[in-house]
Amino acid sequence: MDHKYLKRVRRNDRFARYIITVGGLAVIFSVILILFLIARVTFPLFQQPSVRQVAQFNLANPAASRVLATGVDEYLENLFLVGGDGSFVFYDPRSGQTVERLAAAPPAEGLRVVDAEQFGAARYNLLWNDGSLTMEQVRFRARFDAEGRRSFERSLVRLGSLGPLPEGLPQRTLARGSAEGGLVRVTLQADQRLRVDQHLVSEDLFGDQTTEHYDFYLETVAPGEKITALTMDEQGTALYAGTDQGSLLRWDLSEPGEGVLKDRLPAFTDRRAITALGLVYGDISLAVGDALGGVSTWFPVASAASGGEKRLQRIHTLIGHGSAIQSLVPSRRDKSLLSIDADGIVHLDHMTSERHLLRLGQDRPLRHLAISIRGDGLFAIDGQGRALVWRVNNPHPEVSWRTLFGKVWYENYNEPVYAWQSSSASDDFEPKLSLTPLIFGTIKGTLYAMLFAVPLALFGAIYTSQFGNDRLRGIIKPAVEIMAAIPSVIIGFLAALWFAPLLDKSVPALFLTLLLIPAFLLAAVVVWQMLRKRPFFKRIEKGHEFLLLIPVLLAAVVAAWQLGPVLEAWLFGGNFNLWLFSEAGSRYDSRNNIVIAFALGFAVIPIIFTIAEDALSNVPHSLKAASLALGASRWQTVWRVILPSASPGIFAGTMIGFGRAIGETMIVLMATGNTAIMDWSIFNGMRPLSSNIAVEIPEAPVAGTLYRVLFLSAVFLFIMTFVLNTVAEVVRQRLRKKYGRF
Amino acid sequence: MNNYWRKGEPFIWGTAAALSLTLLLAAVLIIVVMVNGLGVFWPSKVALASLKDGQQVLGEIVRREPVYEGVGERLQFKVGNRDLYGLDFRWVDEAAIASISYPQQATVVERQEYGNFIGLLQSVQAEGLPTAATPWERLQAARRLVVEQQEGAEEQNAELAGLNIRMERVRRKLQKLAYAGKTADDEEMARLEQRRREIDGAFEQLVDRQASRIEELHRTTATFAAIDGSERVIRVADMVRCFRPNAMSPGQKAFFYLGKLWELIFGEPRESNTEGGLFPAIFGTVMLIFVMSLFTFPFGVLAAIYLREYAKEGPLVRMVRIAVNNLAGIPSIVYGIFGLAFFVYGIGGSLDRLFFPERLPIPTFGTGGILWASMTLALLTVPVVIVTTEEALGAIPSGVREGSLALGATKFQTLYRILLPMASPGIMTGLILAMARAAGEVAPLMITGVVKLAPALPIDGTFPFVHLDRKFMHLGFHIYDIGFQSPNVEAAKPMVFVTTLLLVLIVLVMSSVAIHLRNKMKKRYAYRTF
Repeated sequence: MDHKYLKRVRRNDRFARYIITVGGLAVIFSVILILFLIARVTFPLFQQPSVRQVAQFNLANPAASRVLATGVDEYLENLFLVGGDGSFVFYDPRSGQTVERLAAAPPAEGLRVVDAEQFGAARYNLLWNDGSLTMEQVRFRARFDAEGRRSFERSLVRLGSLGPLPEGLPQRTLARGSAEGGLVRVTLQADQRLRVDQHLVSEDLFGDQTTEHYDFYLETVAPGEKITALTMDEQGTALYAGTDQGSLLRWDLSEPGEGVLKDRLPAFTDRRAITALGLVYGDISLAVGDALGGVSTWFPVASAASGGEKRLQRIHTLIGHGSAIQSLVPSRRDKSLLSIDADGIVHLDHMTSERHLLRLGQDRPLRHLAISIRGDGLFAIDGQGRALVWRVNNPHPEVSWRTLFGKVWYENYNEPVYAWQSSSASDDFEPKLSLTPLIFGTIKGTLYAMLFAVPLALFGAIYTSQFGNDRLRGIIKPAVEIMAAIPSVIIGFLAALWFAPLLDKSVPALFLTLLLIPAFLLAAVVVWQMLRKRPFFKRIEKGHEFLLLIPVLLAAVVAAWQLGPVLEAWLFGGNFNLWLFSEAGSRYDSRNNIVIAFALGFAVIPIIFTIAEDALSNVPHSLKAASLALGASRWQTVWRVILPSASPGIFAGTMIGFGRAIGETMIVLMATGNTAIMDWSIFNGMRPLSSNIAVEIPEAPVAGTLYRVLFLSAVFLFIMTFVLNTVAEVVRQRLRKKYGRF
Repeated sequence: MNNYWRKGEPFIWGTAAALSLTLLLAAVLIIVVMVNGLGVFWPSKVALASLKDGQQVLGEIVRREPVYEGVGERLQFKVGNRDLYGLDFRWVDEAAIASISYPQQATVVERQEYGNFIGLLQSVQAEGLPTAATPWERLQAARRLVVEQQEGAEEQNAELAGLNIRMERVRRKLQKLAYAGKTADDEEMARLEQRRREIDGAFEQLVDRQASRIEELHRTTATFAAIDGSERVIRVADMVRCFRPNAMSPGQKAFFYLGKLWELIFGEPRESNTEGGLFPAIFGTVMLIFVMSLFTFPFGVLAAIYLREYAKEGPLVRMVRIAVNNLAGIPSIVYGIFGLAFFVYGIGGSLDRLFFPERLPIPTFGTGGILWASMTLALLTVPVVIVTTEEALGAIPSGVREGSLALGATKFQTLYRILLPMASPGIMTGLILAMARAAGEVAPLMITGVVKLAPALPIDGTFPFVHLDRKFMHLGFHIYDIGFQSPNVEAAKPMVFVTTLLLVLIVLVMSSVAIHLRNKMKKRYAYRTF
């Protein structure tokens, strides 16, 4: 033969081997890479937050002006201090140089600032030494020049001012302003009395503004007890106080001219002093720091013990400090909370997930602390007057294994719950991302569907493979396989828009069908007894029974649907759905589990049927022949010989069907109603994992918490089906080995 | 008798009943789809019901069912005239009806908007029509006239579209130059600006001419009276169809049916997809399957050949095989979410940053599109092709392989000349099964680029002719969308059933062919041990 030709052939062969090997392996491994890639999206959910120090510098002359408060802008490019002379000093974090100094004008000549309270977005209440108060806000306006560099225009805006009080300089003072220009001031006097000044602005229909002024004293603590911490919400309607005896007090100031004491309760059994109070973002939860370093959050809850009235209750306890808490600084972005203790150690915790996120200041005690509005930057001053700036990488503080799977006590809930509620109209809404109700929904829908599908598919497969006529088998099997190809969107559509309305009207008829089918079947068998000896009917027993049964079953169904309304009138007073609600206390949803069981069952029957039929008909004929030759009847042969031999295959089929039902999306999306409730009733719907992904992923911001949690639920779906399928596949391969090919 | 029970014969009947039930369920599904889907386009009679209180109702009788409380039945009329009554349907108690008749004059007008109008023709306002004829004849003549005029308008439309595309191209070029840092005094920029103004001018002119033409078209109108006496003037240009079902012969009805069928397959959708045709959805589905096959077929076959012919049998290959089988059972939504993260945001986002940075933040490839949807589906169906191809290769007796090798053929020659041709029916089966699965799959598409209404097809006459970045329509999603997201579900139901019927037919035919092929092949190489 031509030498060249042989060479070319050999080269081709080598080449092909190389391409096929590389290509084949690449395809297989890239497909398997999917799990890894999906899982990678979810990793950041469980990462510990990291912190990076970006700047450190010495303050010019910290001793000269006492530092009362600190602040930082959203870009971490403007740091500022509030000094005792009422000046706001701005620093550039890169150089550490003072870039600007803005002074708040004192209300009278020669006054000093004795205290500064920070609240809201870069707002500061300055208490001057004559007892008067001014409310200042620091504003930044970013400018971009032609090269895209950022520069800032800093300004100080006075939002309001209040004159001195007759009682003289108070121990503590709080003030809040409303958008209309109203002001509320609360002052703690030296004699432990709390004085409230309300300046309310109301606007009538014609746009005329009137200002009303109220001042009054609040009912406070017992003599001998001292108020040690005070805080107020941003509207100035709820006031909280803590005492050195460990009491917590709450007043409602929403009515003009009136302060109602809503709560006075001992917060701790050991009567430890409360040293700091703060309101978590959203102004519902109160954070309490105590003298022993404990941090806990509280909000009013209605319970049976309090007679339905809302009373403060301890909800979350965060990781404690080693010494008394000095102050609590809430994040302005989420429910995170910074706490700083007397040793200068700072903790960052998330309230709802109770995750301990960060710990700072072990090496050097920190004093004044500010968090940027996006929660990604921290600015602190340490004991030696050095300024420190950190950048915080903390993308998903609200997620932990506990919030994903356990019961969580969310704000405004009366008890811990499993809840899935990913979005809402309001801004300070806290997403509730518990996967438990979704997994519950998946399992509930799947289980009921399997209850319906497995018996039908398995018995049908037994009949087809063992008793059925060979020629008919050649038709039935492809028919069932084609049934498997019906798109799930069609099954879902028919279930939701055709079957569900039908079922709405006749639930009792469905139950009657379940009763009548066995009854009619039994009757048919008894009648058959009398007929079977005749030669014509003998032929039917050779694999045509199921054809004879079709009219019987049809008759049973027709009878049930005819008798259904009669039964409904007789047992359920004419309306089953109403009866269910009033008698059993269970609501009837139109998109319920019965619909799902039928639709999902219908979708998995062909899968289970095909695999089980394969397994049954691949049991060697020799076994069957031997059993029959020994005198066993055909049912006995099937029950005692064939089924045990094929059981691994049947198990595998069931598992694969189960896996398919878990992942089915369109049917459940259309026919479940998609409400995340946890109720085993077959008259309710649910919200399974798969349809939840389909509904929410188009709306989820990329790389946000919801996005990653949805990926996590996809990982769960993947793992569930992977385990089921692997088990089934291993079992099937064993079976193949045992009986040769397939 | 006792013997009969002891032998367990009744249990056999029990298993037979299970099979019967399964088959019945499948039959019910097919029958429901057929019954509801086939009859939709048949023009049904329009009934005129005179009620006992003197009111009259004109409409098709859609359904009858028992009254909720009390005795008797109630009838559901499809009265149309959504613009007049707000709802298309009306329930009337049979007890309240004095008489029902089927007037020959009752006319149904299919309109571009607001659904059907059912009423009586009063007069036709048009120029240049014989005045002596009956209104009905005049209407027919007017419609012919309008259709002719509309053809002229179509040409102008094409011209407009052409201008639009040129304009868009110039705008893109400008954008690109601007991104590259060119300013308005650049020569190229100035030239393009000039072009843009020219096109703009031509566009304005054309729009003006078209507007006058449309105004002329709109002057031809017909006046109809609804059954409650209110009159309605309908532009002839807005009529899609106009017919008198009670006066139609069976032959005319059959012709009408075929016309509607033609519109269904080749027409554009109207009325937020609840009327008109499915052409974009059919086209999108076919193109999706085609692009998917381009990926699935070579890669699936390659992987199967490697697994069966080249890989050394061992624990690793066994594991890989289990994994591949397994992947066929992974939920489609998981593939969808993967496609979104990997293809759309990952690869698509990178492509945008590399090649189309001037258009950002408007994504080109970094958003769902037919390419990403096809690739996601390809991933989903690759295991199907691998498994069936492997089975087909495995079913070839090893004697064939050994014979070829013994004659001196190399492994590749054996594969190429002997094994692949022998396995080709099996490979085809796998491909067809994969295509059928892709045709019916909706969940992964929903997040990778399918839309309710795509403004343009993925293939058209503008360069580069195939637009894989475009969003597309799909039959399966169409069903979900109009069945569940349309504002008027009751009126949309017929269309859903028709779409369902079409999709069922496509999928059933495809999988029947696949299964037939497979069974034929099985018989060819089957050997029994007993």
